[in-house]
Amino acid sequence: MTITEEQQQASEGGAGVPTVASRARDWARNAPNQVAYREKDFGIWNEYTWADSWEMIENAANGLLALGVQPGDRVSIHSEDRLEWIIMDLATVAVRGVTVGFYPTNPTAEVEYLLTDCGACIHFAEDQEQYDKVLDIGREKLSALRKIIFAEPRGMVGQDDDRLVFWESFLEMGREYKEAHPGELEARMAAAEDTDLMTLVYTSGTTGPPKGAMLTNSNANYCIEKIVKAEGRVVGGLPGPGDEIVTYLPLCHVAERIFSTWTQVGMGPTLNFAESIDTVNENLREIQPTLFFAVPRIWERLHAFTLIKANDATPFKKLLFRFGLSLGRRIGRIKVANGGEHTLLSRVLYAFGWVLVFRPLRERLGLRRCRWAGSGAAAIAPEVLEFFIGIGVPVYELYGMTENSAVATTNFVGRMKLGTVGEPYEGIGLRLDPENGEIQTKHDGVFVGYWGKPEQTAETMTEDGWLKTGDVGEWVDGTHIKIIDRIKAIIITSGGKNISPSEIENSLKTSPFVKEAMVIGEGRKYLSALISIELDTVGDWALRRGLAYTTYRDLTEKPEVIELVQGVVNETNEKFARVENIRKFRLIPKELDHEDGELTATQKVKRSAMMEIFGDLVESMY
Amino acid sequence: MFRRPNLYTSYQAETQVLPTFTKKVIAIFAIVALFLMPFDVPIISGPTELPILRSIPLIGDGLPFFRFLGDAAWLRYMSDAMIVVVAALGLNILTGMAGQVSLGHAFFLGVGAYTGAFLGGHATDSVYGHGLPMWIWLPGAGVGAALVGIIVSPVAVRLRGLYLAIVTLGLVFLGIHMGNTDWGRKFAGDPSLGRSFPEMDLRVWKEETPLVSISEKGSWFGVEMSSNQKEFLFVAAVMLVFIFFAVNIKRTRTGRALQAIRDRDIAAEVMGVAEFKYKLVAFATSSFFAGVAGALYASHIGKMPAAQFNLILSIEFIAILLIGGAGTVAGTIMGSFFVILLPELVKDFSDWLSERAEGEGIVASVSEVILSGNQGDFGPISTATQTPNYPLNVFDLNLVLYGVLIIVFLIFEPLGLYGIWIKVRNYWKRWPFSY
Repeated sequence: MTITEEQQQASEGGAGVPTVASRARDWARNAPNQVAYREKDFGIWNEYTWADSWEMIENAANGLLALGVQPGDRVSIHSEDRLEWIIMDLATVAVRGVTVGFYPTNPTAEVEYLLTDCGACIHFAEDQEQYDKVLDIGREKLSALRKIIFAEPRGMVGQDDDRLVFWESFLEMGREYKEAHPGELEARMAAAEDTDLMTLVYTSGTTGPPKGAMLTNSNANYCIEKIVKAEGRVVGGLPGPGDEIVTYLPLCHVAERIFSTWTQVGMGPTLNFAESIDTVNENLREIQPTLFFAVPRIWERLHAFTLIKANDATPFKKLLFRFGLSLGRRIGRIKVANGGEHTLLSRVLYAFGWVLVFRPLRERLGLRRCRWAGSGAAAIAPEVLEFFIGIGVPVYELYGMTENSAVATTNFVGRMKLGTVGEPYEGIGLRLDPENGEIQTKHDGVFVGYWGKPEQTAETMTEDGWLKTGDVGEWVDGTHIKIIDRIKAIIITSGGKNISPSEIENSLKTSPFVKEAMVIGEGRKYLSALISIELDTVGDWALRRGLAYTTYRDLTEKPEVIELVQGVVNETNEKFARVENIRKFRLIPKELDHEDGELTATQKVKRSAMMEIFGDLVESMY
Repeated sequence: MFRRPNLYTSYQAETQVLPTFTKKVIAIFAIVALFLMPFDVPIISGPTELPILRSIPLIGDGLPFFRFLGDAAWLRYMSDAMIVVVAALGLNILTGMAGQVSLGHAFFLGVGAYTGAFLGGHATDSVYGHGLPMWIWLPGAGVGAALVGIIVSPVAVRLRGLYLAIVTLGLVFLGIHMGNTDWGRKFAGDPSLGRSFPEMDLRVWKEETPLVSISEKGSWFGVEMSSNQKEFLFVAAVMLVFIFFAVNIKRTRTGRALQAIRDRDIAAEVMGVAEFKYKLVAFATSSFFAGVAGALYASHIGKMPAAQFNLILSIEFIAILLIGGAGTVAGTIMGSFFVILLPELVKDFSDWLSERAEGEGIVASVSEVILSGNQGDFGPISTATQTPNYPLNVFDLNLVLYGVLIIVFLIFEPLGLYGIWIKVRNYWKRWPFSY
């Protein structure tokens, strides 16, 4: 606590407006030996203290100065989560530049759009794979781009592009520049203003091309003040230096930025970079984070992983596991009914379950030490949350979007309501449009606008300056907000019924066999669905049944598999009213992919693209 | 990292022998228990003394294992087993870690024993001996054996598998033959009686009264102790030192090189592991362990002929590795205790059965079936010490048991006792899943 107070004094003491960079510097001054980052390399988690990392940030920032980055210049980062991402990000903010994060999965065409749209002058490409995407675009189209910094030298030998700079030489350049121009960086940082843009966050764009939401220093500070330092949001008190966070979601997404970078520079926990999205599970087991934020897709995967693995256990273990799960369900229900808190009964039940199943299960999931977990960025089925709450992982759903720096609602400790996204943060403006129930917000976290798109900016704002989120919500008990769906996603059948598809889709997705589901029915007589199966689990299921298959497509065409999914659909239908029942469905014959345009970079289904690509399938159902 | 056992922030932490606090505590307790064993601490050395256990019918009655632990003679068997641990760890380095099958381990034990005797034994008209103190003869025995190992090692570079096994087998016969020559008798003494070996006493030089006497009873730190107790403590300390080395060899560059050679010598050589050098190191280290163990063993037994270091002894070591779990230190230790203590347990068990055979009840009936005390009985175990053919005496039965156990372990549990332990451990470690 004292560190935070000192830090605030330091940053208020004439050092300009606090930015994420100045906060990192203050940590380096006040707690230089505290571990700030861990990155796994050759099997070992290398530790970087605040002092180490600030030195790197300082060098990188001086390197940017040496490359002539002026206030307001854009620096783009195209990389998986790694230490260099954050160093680059903070260095850019330190020189009053604007960080633009790209998704590692962005294909060349999108990289071209993004690079030309934001007009970045410095680009950080992690390795050859990402560099090649820039190379494919051609120089003439990227007139603003001056330098490309790369971190992995493998495969880069023989590249004679004069824009290329190796990371280490870039830092060296910064070191030399610092000696030649001492104090320049400090002066630049001290000149930081509230209205300085600090990042462009490109929204995933389920409709149309991505738009870059402009966030300023004051947006970020507001977000840190409201979300990171919100009293009663995190179980067991505010995040602090003893906390561990695993960074594995794309850092260009605002949610990961808030729950790793901004939380870290705000409160000082340690960030641990997962090696890759495929090793998240092992990395979680090693780190056992205390704070864990995940998108519904990850929660669903963890849930499916647990059920599938338990099914493969020996009979005795299976028996005890089932017992544990039924205990978990019971505990989950009790806790949910009690605002997320234990009652005496659930505590007693939990003690039994802890010994039998919960402790080792949480250890395996990497959530043994987890004191607060969050779910956001998309809707999640309540069953999944209840499962995790039951086994003792305190998951809280929250809601927000890029355009309001994710400051909207959260479930507070002790006042959780399952199925809602919680209550608005204290002192923010949040209202429902009386006409269509759209959620609107107004506070200091609301963005400046979309980069270079004034018309679209105007479209998202009401006349009296409220941000239109595009989500339809309703009040629950007058305090909590329940999200119905995206306005654009709501289906009106030919019978004139309004149906929210995401609830049905999420219910389908609670089955470990269903990876993605898209409910269709706009202007039709009844609802139908396109369903994408999870190759791992369905493949495993088929193998166990002695069902031979060759490819993904072959698997989706097996009558047995269709029957299996029919079972899942029937289960879901039972939970909903008759008009909301799915009469027919088709399995998608390929795995959905960002590169093929079916998914956004955040792995959300692009409805319009899907309707186009799988039009025949859809038509065959009507 | 405390509370995060899988989080390694340095290679030192990752290769720690005892990575967690719990493991450190267990290790300390195990060592303390080991050193308390020779004393009459109720729980460790005499469970039958405990009233609770006494009240349980069969145990209180003296079921073999429990009675065995309460017996005074068991200390000697435990010392035997601990010396065998040292020798078996040596073979584990050569065969388990470097993959060089050796049937000649008994030969290296013999070399060690007679080097020790040559250096530390007392000269008589018929045998050599220099009466040097133990701090010379014990390491000297190891060095002597290691030198012989180095001479043999080039063979291993040229020969693999079965062929190497046959060459090393030849060493055993060579050794026994040498012990029989006139020249060899100067070292080994009379072929049927053997010679006397140096005693385990700590001397500075050749003075009359030893600095610390181990072979005579007396008091240490005010505790009256028999020579058996003292020897037990000394051998336990030596064993711990060698376990320490064996555990550490495995995680060094040398250890990794040896394992690379075991897995595929050609591939290892291609990766830059010098085959010749490391096979030499493997033979030298293995023989050093064997030499020290041989000298200790001879000194512990007191008097033994050269023919004792024969093929059966070599095979016993192979059995230890296979039953315990080749390539692992823990497995080798388990195997040693198992193989050395098994005959004693079997013997105790048959004694116990024959005591019961006279009485009535289930135990008596079972004994009747298993044992054959008189002519005409058909039980497989004879109570007599010398038997002609079918009813096996206890010693023959033990040999049969080794054979059966080796076959069973090779087929069903190639990783040995250690493998069983791993399976049990993983069952709990993977809870609540199975993988």
